[in-house]
Amino acid sequence: MEVTGFDTWVLSLAVFLPLVGALVIMLIPKAYESELKLVALGSSLLALVVGAYIAIQFDYGAAGDLQFVVDKGWIDVINSRYIVGLDGLSLPLLLLSLVVVPLCLIYSWNHIPEPGNPKAFFVLILILSTGMNGSFVAQDMILFFVFFEVVLLPMYFLIGVWGGEDRRYASLKFFLYTLFGSALMIISFLALFFLSKDASGELLNTFDMRILTDAAGVGIIKSTQVWIFAGLFMGFGIKVPMFPFHTWLPDAHTQAPTVGSVILAAVLLKLGTYGFVRIAIPFLPEGAIAWAPWIGLLAVIGIIYGALGCLAQKDMKRLIAFSSVAHMGFVMLGIATLTDFGINAAIFGMIAHGLITGMLFFVAGSVKERYHTLEISRLGGLLKSAPRMGWILGFASMASLGLPGLAGFWGEFPAILSAYNPGAGMPEETFRTYMVIAAIGTVLAAGYLLWLYQRTAFGEPPEEFAGHSIADVNRDEWIAWMPFLVGIVLFGIWPNLIFNVTDDVVSGITASVEAIAAGN
Amino acid sequence: MDVLLAFTRPALDWHALAPELTLLAFGTLITVVDIIWDDRSKQAMPTLAGMGLLATLVPILTLAVDGTERSMFAGAYVVDDFSLVLKALFLISGYIVILMSVDYIREGDYYENEYYTLMLTSLLGMVMISSSRDLVSVFVALELLSIPAYMLAAWRKGGPRSNEAGLKYYLMGVFASAVMLYGMSLVYGLAGSTTFNAIAQSMATDTTNPIAILGILFILIGFAFKVSAVPFHTWAPDTYEGAPTPVTAFLAVASKAAGMVALIQLVFVAFPGRDDVVQPFFWVISALTMTIGNLIALRQNNIVRLLAYSGVAQGGFMLVPFAVAAEAPARAFEAVVIYLAIYAFMNLGAFAVVLAVARKTRSGEIDSYGGLFQYAPGLAVAMTIFLAALAGIPPAGGWFAKFGLFRALLDAGGSWAAALGVVVAVNTVIAFAYYARILVQMWFQPIPDGDDRPIAVTGSLGAALTVTIAATMAFGVLPGLVGHFGEVSVLSALGG
Amino acid sequence: MWMLENAFIIPLIPALSFVVILFLGKRYIGADRVHVIGIGALALVWLLSAIAAFQWTQRVEDPPPDAIVHIEHHGDSHDDGHGDGHDDGHGDGHDDGHGDGHDDGHGDEHAASGGHGDDGHGGGHSSPLIRPVISTFSQWWSNSGVDFAVGTLVDGQTVLLLMVVATISLLVHIYSTEYVKGDRRYVHYYAFLSLFTAAMLFFVMAQNIIQLIVGWELVGVCSFALIGHWWEEKPNTDAALKAFLTNRVGDVGLLVGMIVLWGTFKTFDIDAINTLISADPGAHHFALLIAACCLMAAVASKSGQFPLHTWLPDAMAGPTPVSALIHAATMVVAGVYMIARLYPVFYEGFSIGTSSINLMAFIGGFTALIGAGLAFAQWDIKKVLAYSTVSQLGYMVMALGVGAWTAAIFHLFTHAFFKACLFLGAGSVSHAAHHTFDMRKMGGLKKEMPHTYKTFVISSLALAGVFPFAGFWSKDEILLGSLVGQENGYPLMLIFGCAVALMTAAYMTRVIWYTFHGEFRGHGHPHESPKVMTVPLWILAGMAVLAGAFNLPGPVLEPIGLEGLAHRIQTYAEPSVYLSGLGLSHPDPSLNMALVGLALAITGILVTYLYYWKRIGLHGLTERNRYARNGYTFLENKYYLDHLYNDIVVETVKRPIAKWANNFNQNVLDRAVNTAGETARDTGRWVYKWIDQGAIDGSVNAAARGADSSGESLRAIQSGKVQNYGQLLFGAAAVLAIVFVIVV
Repeated sequence: MEVTGFDTWVLSLAVFLPLVGALVIMLIPKAYESELKLVALGSSLLALVVGAYIAIQFDYGAAGDLQFVVDKGWIDVINSRYIVGLDGLSLPLLLLSLVVVPLCLIYSWNHIPEPGNPKAFFVLILILSTGMNGSFVAQDMILFFVFFEVVLLPMYFLIGVWGGEDRRYASLKFFLYTLFGSALMIISFLALFFLSKDASGELLNTFDMRILTDAAGVGIIKSTQVWIFAGLFMGFGIKVPMFPFHTWLPDAHTQAPTVGSVILAAVLLKLGTYGFVRIAIPFLPEGAIAWAPWIGLLAVIGIIYGALGCLAQKDMKRLIAFSSVAHMGFVMLGIATLTDFGINAAIFGMIAHGLITGMLFFVAGSVKERYHTLEISRLGGLLKSAPRMGWILGFASMASLGLPGLAGFWGEFPAILSAYNPGAGMPEETFRTYMVIAAIGTVLAAGYLLWLYQRTAFGEPPEEFAGHSIADVNRDEWIAWMPFLVGIVLFGIWPNLIFNVTDDVVSGITASVEAIAAGN
Repeated sequence: MDVLLAFTRPALDWHALAPELTLLAFGTLITVVDIIWDDRSKQAMPTLAGMGLLATLVPILTLAVDGTERSMFAGAYVVDDFSLVLKALFLISGYIVILMSVDYIREGDYYENEYYTLMLTSLLGMVMISSSRDLVSVFVALELLSIPAYMLAAWRKGGPRSNEAGLKYYLMGVFASAVMLYGMSLVYGLAGSTTFNAIAQSMATDTTNPIAILGILFILIGFAFKVSAVPFHTWAPDTYEGAPTPVTAFLAVASKAAGMVALIQLVFVAFPGRDDVVQPFFWVISALTMTIGNLIALRQNNIVRLLAYSGVAQGGFMLVPFAVAAEAPARAFEAVVIYLAIYAFMNLGAFAVVLAVARKTRSGEIDSYGGLFQYAPGLAVAMTIFLAALAGIPPAGGWFAKFGLFRALLDAGGSWAAALGVVVAVNTVIAFAYYARILVQMWFQPIPDGDDRPIAVTGSLGAALTVTIAATMAFGVLPGLVGHFGEVSVLSALGG
Repeated sequence: MWMLENAFIIPLIPALSFVVILFLGKRYIGADRVHVIGIGALALVWLLSAIAAFQWTQRVEDPPPDAIVHIEHHGDSHDDGHGDGHDDGHGDGHDDGHGDGHDDGHGDEHAASGGHGDDGHGGGHSSPLIRPVISTFSQWWSNSGVDFAVGTLVDGQTVLLLMVVATISLLVHIYSTEYVKGDRRYVHYYAFLSLFTAAMLFFVMAQNIIQLIVGWELVGVCSFALIGHWWEEKPNTDAALKAFLTNRVGDVGLLVGMIVLWGTFKTFDIDAINTLISADPGAHHFALLIAACCLMAAVASKSGQFPLHTWLPDAMAGPTPVSALIHAATMVVAGVYMIARLYPVFYEGFSIGTSSINLMAFIGGFTALIGAGLAFAQWDIKKVLAYSTVSQLGYMVMALGVGAWTAAIFHLFTHAFFKACLFLGAGSVSHAAHHTFDMRKMGGLKKEMPHTYKTFVISSLALAGVFPFAGFWSKDEILLGSLVGQENGYPLMLIFGCAVALMTAAYMTRVIWYTFHGEFRGHGHPHESPKVMTVPLWILAGMAVLAGAFNLPGPVLEPIGLEGLAHRIQTYAEPSVYLSGLGLSHPDPSLNMALVGLALAITGILVTYLYYWKRIGLHGLTERNRYARNGYTFLENKYYLDHLYNDIVVETVKRPIAKWANNFNQNVLDRAVNTAGETARDTGRWVYKWIDQGAIDGSVNAAARGADSSGESLRAIQSGKVQNYGQLLFGAAAVLAIVFVIVV
């Protein structure tokens, strides 16, 4: 696709507009609060508009190829270039992140969490947004790495400054975990840089993802691939997070301010899974094949383990956080099968989990704001005191437990299904066992979600809160939540909206794996 | 008589020597002015010194433009891209230090004029060391940059800590020089020449001779002291804490850089054939330095001390490429130079913030940074950038420096390099743990004394901050800038 | 055939009414008048379903050429289907019985409806088989390059269910206007009734197994929402959760089973799967066995089969009309319907054709038995009916298990009406008697509520299987089916069936006694319910009488010369296009069997009558006899299954296991990380203290001592530190020197 005129700019615009907004805000003095907020919202909305333009201009016929590609010099010394472009895999995730940010801004419009200071709060969210958008469109490993890391500090501060009681511990944990992962990740990137050869055995010495995808790990012997993949596995697996690297997640989520949790759940976690699909598997097919059974194992452990963790939680937000571990387990299971079916399901799962869990965190945040507690035992009768919110919570829970007709199902069921026929060269029995375990996981999911719902929404409101009137969903919340709700229903009824876009890319990704398997 | 007549004056390339001469001239000028006008000239001094440094940059530029490699005194003194890049780096960091010093020195009870003289003299030594390709000239340059530093370290005459610092620094420096000289004499004895090229040949010829090993080892140890590598770092924390903060910055950046420069030349020019000694030595030393430095930094409560140990650890990172000097010479070389350049700016910046904050809190304790973000957001953000850079988190500059290390290691390949790579990775994480303590104080904690008056940042300090921030961010977002210098500086000998 | 091709409209209507009621109802229609929309929608649905049904009969009567499939493999299919032992297995009764059944069946049919008569009737499928109407709409989702369409599959079985669902749902809608009048959540109630109807209709016309799953889950959610309709009281929510979670357990089986089918046939298309199997029954036997077992678990949960039936009685916590609609007539038969829909899978998987006992038949029979047993021990009238439902569902599953496809569907059909009638009757009673369902607080209502009484009795007779009520005919076919079976009879099933027939009659009589006869034991003045409730009761009662007529055996009709109307359900509803390949055969009517069945029913009624009305029999047995007492407690505690599930399974998962997992997380994984961090810091301290600063306190003290005077500070230098440092420097140098000289 010949990129010309405005189209050469759109991706960069979508990425950097929020950053520009952030810089502008920095120049506005604190006193002009409403102006600050307007600028923030404006820039993020502008980015969203650009995103919409991209979605319209996108050639869905050729969803498998990168589009709007821009390839400019950046760090010649290490011949890393500024390459951005998006295909059917990036598009949904980019849009997700573009949509979530303005909604979070709207949500926090009138209630910035303690200790206030909207200026800093919004600036950080905007920087965050640039990092996320960039990661999804970057097509050069170094560029990807930079964006990937840009996300860290803002989130660290969001948790650490506006977080709950235990915020210092949680934020530091989040940071160290991720930092360690990315250190190993960059090592693996360099290993790829130095070792990848093209078909003719020439050393490539490039960070260009497009080239490396085509190279598909040719000329890197299996044992080496396994090691490099291990590095990437740490980098991405911690982000996902995969059992047993998940322990940062519950703390981070529990302590983070509402929008922090929402962004974390909706977008940040996806960076990890995206990395697997975009980088780890296509670049290192043999490593992937060697690792897949173990990834699958960790995935199903995560499914069951996360669910059990949920059942034991006394704090609503922490419970939702653990449910993320379980849900991302399904995503990783889909990826681990190395089949089109599974990876498509995984991508769908990313979007669905983003919308659903994001929604749940929103509700949790609003509950906290009204009851000043998330201790499940103290809550109850939400349906009576704030009916609409109760309904939304119920709706989101149903979606989250994978009810057909809502988005969650389309990430979950095909992922389970894909485990029945894992990719060529995979141990079939093992994966079928995983399949059954994962299916059992859905029972537990229903268990903890409905149990949560029964204890929080059903019954009479506890006398502790009988006195005060609990405000129902307010305007800001409606605006912020509606797109989530609509999305959950829309994708649930019409899954092809996503499958159709991702399918081509995925078949390209698995092609390399199949080639290797055929070779053996 | 014939003998005397036989002496012919070696050809002097005045253009090549122009930087040194300019610097010397300004140094003398300051002294003269001081002698004539004494206190009345106080105001002029920093300006003069600053002008001196900037003026010195001019001939460096012309030389760079001219671009030919110039060698004098039978190869004992060389002016090439490498030396030019480093000279420039020294001068710029020197300039920033002076910017940081102005108010500090003026407000404290210090001898002002001599301060700048010594500063320039020390810088002269540095400028020279980057051109020295000969044991003697290296040693002379080293002492020339060290001795003023000893005095500067003790500059706070009244403060016992300062005197203690100066004295310790001096004594340890002398010990180290002793060891180094011993090594040099051994090497000279074997090679029969003091020029690096000659040494390189003889060292490469017989690799078994234990004397040669001893010689090389002692020389390296001498410089390991200069760059405060574990276990030769012990002087650093006390000295850094005791010395006036701008001086600390100067020592932590400029003089450490000088040591590195010397090491680069020794390793890549003098002992290229001897990676059997050099590489294991630096593998151990760098691993130790990173780890110990970081671990100890975890325990520090005084910010200067913390930066001191972080500086030790950073030195360890810089030593990493030497451990693969033979497998990937060009990459290793680049990595060190790039690291030096970025480190200079981010560390100076950190010290600048410390200075600025100290103007209000009058304390170096980390706790005194509580709530900084509330009353001095600018400084807090600046500090955040520098710490992020030191921790190697994009988009702040440091990541590219770390990246350079990994790049060199992986280019070299092999399990030893990989192992060192993991050590670096782990240390990166540990390092952030203590940088985070400062972040936590600045962002998450309340103001200890509840006094939220903003901090007045003086002009010169502001300038220093602006320069360092700009550089740090620029290196982070467009690493090409610094990467370029790293590339050109690679000695032609290595075919860089 | 327009209606058949565009059947998707039918579920669409209630779906729309759901949206309208929920989002516009309160504001624009008025909270107390939303039922108008619901009823209107349902009336329309009923009309369209009727049209569809009619069009289907047309299609069968004179099929358009494209609707006919010619599969001339009666014989070989017999061989494939039944493998060896076919000949000996065929033996006496079956083969000739088969033979003449074929003949007279043939004769009559020809006489009646020129030639097409015996579609799917009689053993021989040599005549035209009617292909179902399959219409697929645009691509629903795509994966790995394959597009999966959404669509509808309409055949006799579908339209039958359409009629059942539409009729009962409509009546329940009307009935509810009175029953839940003035309820706190009137709007939600009607919204969910509509949603449920939509989901159920969507389910019955599913074209692929994914749609089956979707509909299956959606009806489950509606049931959850309606059981928990009064969620202020914890018992109700508990019941709702129990229902949903139990079904979730079954859903594991559903998912896995469906996945196995997909993995085996690489398609989700129901038609394709069935055709593939019936074309080559022998193949994939093992895969089908696995799939069938997994799906059986799903059936057990949804259709209240042992051991997952325990949620159904609790589900009675919901409003009574809901129980009638969802937990008696429609949703709970979803499992049965699914078996019937994918019958080839089960038929081959459990090799129903050849065995004389199999998992499905056993589970069905056993469920029927224990359900009937439990029905005796209940005092709550709805619980009795619930267990009766369990038992009747078991009956249907058993029928399918013995290969009596038509009998099962026929029973599904009749049962829907009389059981719905019974539930609505119970509702009417409690409506009169101050919302109690405890039979001990009733009695003597016969006089006060004649209509309720009459309808209730009629349906009870139907349920008990008394001639000529509907239940008699369907039950008779099931018993016959298990007697004859396919190749072998199913003797055990027959015994179960007879026992259940007896017990059913007995416990229904008991209910009638306690509710309507004797003295009124409640308080207040019971009164008959208004017309809006009694009219639906009468309609259903009427069906309870007539429904049997839809599948009367030929011999019964011969004398009155209406042979043409024989076996209508078998003729129209049976998907012979799939079943023929399996060589499914039909037993021919037997008078003896019918008489036995009738006798059993009468006996049951008679004994109970004597026991209660005439006080004859072993009264107070439970007081006197320990074993009897134990037995009774055993029944009262529902075989202790609930204890097993709640107190043992659920509690262990919820409490110890989850706790353990959480502790593991906190104390092992997390601890590991933190420990690493702390270790690092401690190492730091240690190194700093002992290695780095030989005498750190020394320096501090020194600094303190040499506070101000520089002279003092000189002493600090002699504090030993510099020496330490020096030693370290030279020492290290020496060590390194030695090491290198030796090593290198």
